Amino acid sequence: MLESATAAHKAPAKLAKKSTSQTKYWKPYQTRWNLISLLTLVVAFLENLLVPAQELVNNVTYRWFLVAYFAYLAIVYIAGSVVHGKVRLYSGHFAQLNASIGLLLVVQDLLTEKYAVIQQPFFVSFAQILDQMKTDHALLLASTWSSLGLWLISFVIGTIIGIALGLFMGRYHQFNYWAFPYLKVIGIIPAAAWMPLTMVIFPTSYLAEIFLIAFSVWFPVAFMTIGGVQSISKDYFESAKTLGFSESQILRKVVIPGALPNIFIGIFTAMGLSFTMLVISEMIGAKVGLGWYINWAKGVGNYTQVYSAIVIMAILFSIIFSLLNKFQDYALRWREKTN
Amino acid sequence: MVQLAVENVDRILEDNNGQKINVLEDINLHVGSGEFISIIGPSGCGKTTLLRLISGLDTPEKGEVSVDGNLIDQPDVSRGYVFQHGSLFPWETIKENISSGLKATNGHDYDKKLVDHYIDLMGLKGFENAYPHQVSGGMAQRAALARSIVLNPELLLLDEPMGALDAFTRADVQDVIQRVWKQTKTTMILVTHDIDEAIYLGTRIVVMTPRPGKIKEIVTNPLDFPRKRTSDEFLEFRREIQDKLNF
Repeated sequence: MLESATAAHKAPAKLAKKSTSQTKYWKPYQTRWNLISLLTLVVAFLENLLVPAQELVNNVTYRWFLVAYFAYLAIVYIAGSVVHGKVRLYSGHFAQLNASIGLLLVVQDLLTEKYAVIQQPFFVSFAQILDQMKTDHALLLASTWSSLGLWLISFVIGTIIGIALGLFMGRYHQFNYWAFPYLKVIGIIPAAAWMPLTMVIFPTSYLAEIFLIAFSVWFPVAFMTIGGVQSISKDYFESAKTLGFSESQILRKVVIPGALPNIFIGIFTAMGLSFTMLVISEMIGAKVGLGWYINWAKGVGNYTQVYSAIVIMAILFSIIFSLLNKFQDYALRWREKTN
Repeated sequence: MVQLAVENVDRILEDNNGQKINVLEDINLHVGSGEFISIIGPSGCGKTTLLRLISGLDTPEKGEVSVDGNLIDQPDVSRGYVFQHGSLFPWETIKENISSGLKATNGHDYDKKLVDHYIDLMGLKGFENAYPHQVSGGMAQRAALARSIVLNPELLLLDEPMGALDAFTRADVQDVIQRVWKQTKTTMILVTHDIDEAIYLGTRIVVMTPRPGKIKEIVTNPLDFPRKRTSDEFLEFRREIQDKLNF
């Protein structure tokens, strides 16, 4: 039938040839640093073992932690020295950081548990925190699950409401005219200000907490979504029309993907606010959750427990953050990489 | 046989001071089935506005634009439009872009073979799953062309689709357009400010003048196919058009 019109013009696509792991793990691989970082962990272990403690501390969990950390690094480093490519880049890149963490572990242990330079009980050693986490693991795990569940349902509700409102306000002038002034005035109110009211208005404190967290989420998401829709080039809408798209197809295939980069900015802003609101609302109204745990520990004066909950939050929120980041990378894979 | 009729069309815009500007004034143009019309003129002569009126993306203050007697007042799949910058959807792959119009009208039962055929014809094989930012400008424009032509329009409107390309890529895309025009017999209207391009592709050349935008003259292209950009006849006709553009 028809022959290829431009067989001679199959120019290679201008895909970036430098691999992403090369730009991500840019520190050069040096065996020296790998060894130093392992050494700092050995020092941390020996120091904890040999220097006498000022008070009674169960160091078993901490030492197991050090052993596990050491084993993990040793495996990564050995793999990196044998295999080239991503594993090697990864093992080389983080060697210096791992060395500094090892050093930090030594210093904090000496300052608190060993010589009590920093006053206890407000500052405790990492070993004490780990031991506390082990003793209290059942309650901490239940609290973590409860917090995660509450956060997830509230965040999803807030995000969906925010995106839906934002899309409609960005797309339809009439809707924007009537709704945007209210959005501006109501959305700017900090969710925490509603706390006393929600505690009496909602039948259960759980519902009140969902409302408060969702409230902290919907506004940044809606606001960024509106901007995202309005920033879409009118060329895309016009092409869609000449290609026979219906209004709902324009909404699904032009408006949503076009606004998506901004929607994600809104979601990430909202995420930080939602973590804050999660902890605050749990501290006030709840009988479960990490926020409640901290408040309860404060009541009984056990600051090691407070630290345990904080460490768990750091881990939990980091995981949520990086999962969301991965999701963003996938959803926006069509975008030109800027690095 | 008259297919497209533009009759006594005025397009008036107001600037920020409320001053009226005649973007187009008294435009009359009749285009028959299978023609290739090149509209040429300096920037600001309203040639893109005229193309938008024909597509239905814009409406005139006075006069009528119609196809086979049916008044045009909104865009339609029967009139394809290739934008200056292609405006492929950056969030869709080349293949998804090309099938987007078919999917919009036929749902998921669209003719996938037709899409593959045009991917092949446009030299896009191997880049079906690339995103628009990953391919060259020429490829993106060929994909944009495929996206419109795959819908089998009666009329294909080309709004300086080669304006942003370098000279080599431009010649390549011109040949692709000519080939598609000959094989599909689709009526095409091209807006350009490149005289060579207008002559190389057009069966008739519409010469426009600016402020207010008017049609100065419509010249029938005497050159036979295949055309050679360096032949004496080509250069002579080029001089003739050049003279008409110097006002």
